[in-house]
Amino acid sequence: MADQAPSAPLLSVRDLHVKFPTERGTVNAVNGVSFDLYEGKTLAIVGESGSGKSVTAKTLMNLLPRTARVSGEVTYDGRDVRALAAEKVKHFFGVQMTMVFQDPMTSLNPVKKVGEQIAETLRYHLGRSRSEALEEAVELLDVVGMPEPARRVTQYPHELSGGLRQRVVIAMALACQPRLLIADEPTTAVDVTVQKHLLDLLDELRRDRGMSMILITHDLGVAHGRADDVAVMYAGRVVETADARTLFFDMRHPYTEALLRSIPRIDDPVHHRLDPIPGRPPELIDPPDECAFAPRCIYAQSDCLGGVPELSGLVGLHRFACLHPTGTERGMAAMSSNRAAGVTAAGLPVTGSGGGSG
Amino acid sequence: MARYVVRRVVLLVAVLFAVTFLGFSAMNLLGDPLVNVVGVLAELDCEGIEAGLVEDTTVDAASRDCDTVAAARDQYHLDQPVPVRYVLWVGDLITGDFGTSFQNDQPVSQVIREKLPETLILLTMAQIVSLGVAIPWGVIAAYRANRAFDRGSTVASFGLLSVPNFALGVVLLYLLALRWQVFPSAYESDNLGALVFSMVLPAVTLGLPLAASYQRLLRTDLITTLQEDFVHMARAKGLPPLRIMFRHALRPSMFSVVTVFGVSTGALIGGSLVVEQIFGIPGIGREIVTAVVRDDFPVVLAIVMLVACTFVVLNFLVDLLYSWLDPRVRAR
Repeated sequence: MADQAPSAPLLSVRDLHVKFPTERGTVNAVNGVSFDLYEGKTLAIVGESGSGKSVTAKTLMNLLPRTARVSGEVTYDGRDVRALAAEKVKHFFGVQMTMVFQDPMTSLNPVKKVGEQIAETLRYHLGRSRSEALEEAVELLDVVGMPEPARRVTQYPHELSGGLRQRVVIAMALACQPRLLIADEPTTAVDVTVQKHLLDLLDELRRDRGMSMILITHDLGVAHGRADDVAVMYAGRVVETADARTLFFDMRHPYTEALLRSIPRIDDPVHHRLDPIPGRPPELIDPPDECAFAPRCIYAQSDCLGGVPELSGLVGLHRFACLHPTGTERGMAAMSSNRAAGVTAAGLPVTGSGGGSG
Repeated sequence: MARYVVRRVVLLVAVLFAVTFLGFSAMNLLGDPLVNVVGVLAELDCEGIEAGLVEDTTVDAASRDCDTVAAARDQYHLDQPVPVRYVLWVGDLITGDFGTSFQNDQPVSQVIREKLPETLILLTMAQIVSLGVAIPWGVIAAYRANRAFDRGSTVASFGLLSVPNFALGVVLLYLLALRWQVFPSAYESDNLGALVFSMVLPAVTLGLPLAASYQRLLRTDLITTLQEDFVHMARAKGLPPLRIMFRHALRPSMFSVVTVFGVSTGALIGGSLVVEQIFGIPGIGREIVTAVVRDDFPVVLAIVMLVACTFVVLNFLVDLLYSWLDPRVRAR
């Protein structure tokens, strides 16, 4: 991310806010998210459920329910995406940018043959005839590694396994050669054995076609090795963003650190204990004016409770929103004072062994 | 599939037996069928006359009358107990003999052949009207769920559902036939075009309340379907909203409507009794009213059986429609 991209970003998001009015109050699902995505790059957006990552994706694709209140700027190739959506511009979504959803069991229409579902996009956007579109659908299925593609086009979704269905969804998304693909947890709902195949397939297709990709996942392991840049979201905010290498090996935000500690690693010793993150993600209705992660953070100091920390630095650089970043002197000092007190400023007990040493 | 069809046919036969047996018994319990055939002559004490026990002023006439009564008894097997008569009636039925009407000695099959087409045209048109109104109406209501149009249509549909057929029929007749004279006020049969045109108002009378209930069902199902991932996927593919509605969301949302479509045919036939009276259509509905009033039970039974048949066959077609609507049903 820090390397000098010569051109303007393909997708640029600035200060995106999404609120949902509900009976219990306003849910602040996304609170000021900004990022840039350059042509041919992959950005991974990582976070727990409820962190706002899927809502961000849906906002980009204009898929939010009508009740959602959105503010901020989304620019695609110099064009304001939200204005395009409002003007009902044809042949933008699906052609320029498109999306793959989490659950292949539900994202295909159960009453239409898979071939028709792929062909439909080609016919609408590219004006192909029925037979041309079906032929292309077979080719697309072949590209995504579907066995016997010519037979598959005549099948219904329920005749295919989850992994095969997700290949259909991917073929469908790729039909019009989009420049940007948003993959929202594309492998969460399929078997672990299929996950890697699908992720590698997506990565390969992205490279072959020079696509850009936003890979949304709750699993940092998925992002590792596949993303150029990573944005970690928590409670509707980006709390840390950097190029993948920096983020994985020189992270600053305690949440990023905690996420990495909570996933198993293949080179961990057997019976190594994972460190779960204590507590739960915060409520998004009327959040208190403090660092949202503070109640779960072993570094938390009293100043963490005095306001929401701003993301440091400029878009495109390594940015983090933390007053006592891990791997810095301030962080070390915060950690040792909490250890000594046995409790953080937010009241989380800290023991010598648990939590994880910086 | 073959097994399925066989099961359906068995069901059809069972339903027909039950319906005709109940109908047959009911008609016989309601009164002595002999009275309906020969009128007051049924009260003649023919056995007494024959044995010379009863004085009769005009012996010739009386014995002639007794011959008539005996002929009627013979023709309708009235000397047999009800179950036997039922079996005999079924036997005739199987050989294609529906019996003759008590009223005018017309074969029942001829009565049905004359009256059925009118009613079939009426019912078909009513269903076309109801679906033709309900589908766009439901789609728009679901697309703009909880907005002004949807709220308005909720009120309108409950209004339509609570207006009885005859009231709606009379209002339509007054406004569109008498006041503005858009449609003819009564049945015309000069040619098929005129016939169909004169059936528009009756069909609307029957179809509109049905459209209201279809619309409610379709709206609810569509709102559910519109929250499905595959609809989001279709939007992410950049397809325009109307296309998504009709190509993606409509078909999986038709189940309730199709189910009620099958069941509502019974209600429609009931409604056609009233509507055929109002608009003077010489159809099955009017025929059955007359036949019931006159205890013309061969006609009543034939029509009841016809209705039952239609009902079972239509619901069979509805089942086939399910598997067209959702390929997953086919797999089962």
